[in-house]
Amino acid sequence: MKAAGVPIALLLLAGSLPAQQVRWNFDKLAARASDSTDVSLDGAVLQLAGKFLSDDDKDQAKVKKLVGGLKGIYIRTFEFKKPGEYTAADVEPFRAPLRPPDWQRIVGTHSNEDGETVEVYIKNDSKGIGGLVIIATEPKELTLVNIVGAVDLDSLSELGKHFDFPQVEVEKKK
Amino acid sequence: MASLEDELRSALRRQAPSPDFAERVLARVAAAPVRRTPRVSQPWVRWVAAMAAALLLAAGSLEYRHYRGERAKDQVLLAVRIAGSKLNKAQKKVHMLAHRSNS
Repeated sequence: MKAAGVPIALLLLAGSLPAQQVRWNFDKLAARASDSTDVSLDGAVLQLAGKFLSDDDKDQAKVKKLVGGLKGIYIRTFEFKKPGEYTAADVEPFRAPLRPPDWQRIVGTHSNEDGETVEVYIKNDSKGIGGLVIIATEPKELTLVNIVGAVDLDSLSELGKHFDFPQVEVEKKK
Repeated sequence: MASLEDELRSALRRQAPSPDFAERVLARVAAAPVRRTPRVSQPWVRWVAAMAAALLLAAGSLEYRHYRGERAKDQVLLAVRIAGSKLNKAQKKVHMLAHRSNS
C-alpha cells in the first residue's frame, strides 16, 4: 500500500509543476545539418527583453504584450544542403513527447507543391493554453518551436505576417 | 718575458684589506641618500581614485546590462518572426481549405 502511494504522490506533484520546456535531443540532426540556429530564451531573458521593447513601435508593443505571459521560447532550425538529408524517421522522435492528454495536435498541413509540412500542438492546462509546439519541415529545412506559457495564437500568427522586424544576426552553429 | 711574468705576479698578488676597510664601507652606505618610492599621502587622492574606479565599474555594468537587453530584444523579435511565420502559414492553409469547402 505504501509503495503505491509514492507514484500517486509523484503524479500529484507533476500536476502542480510549472510548465516546462519540451526536452528534445538534436545531436543526430545537428551532425548532418549544414547550418543550425538556436534561440533559447528563458523567463528571465524574456522579462529583460520586455523592458527593451518599445511601446511606441506598434509591432514591438504587440510582441511585448505577447511575451509578457511567457516562460520560455526555444527554437531550433536546421538547414541542409540537399533534400533528403533528413527523413521522416528523424522527425518522429520530436513528436514522441507530444502525446495526449497533455498535448493535442490542432493543425497539421502538408503542401505537395513545395513539400512543406506544418504541425501545431498545444498544451492545455487549467488556465487554457499552457504551451505550444510547431514542427515545420521543408525539403532542406526543419524548424522546431517550443513556446512555454500562455500564448495568444492569434497575436503570434498576426505578428508572423509582418516581416518588417529588423533582420537579426544570430550566432549560427557549425 | 720573465720580467713581464714577475710584474704580473706582483700586481695580482693577494693583499689583505686595511683593518678599517669594513668600517669605511659601512660608513659610506649609511651616508648615501635613501631612494624611496613616491607614496600618495593625501587621503583625498585615494578617495578620488576609489570613486573613479567605482564610477567606471557602475558605468561598465550599466553598459553591459544595456547590451544584454538589446540582444535579448533582438532574439525575441527573431523568435516571434520564426514562430509567427510558421503558425501563420498553417493558419492560412486551414483558412484556404475552409474557404474551398464552403464554396
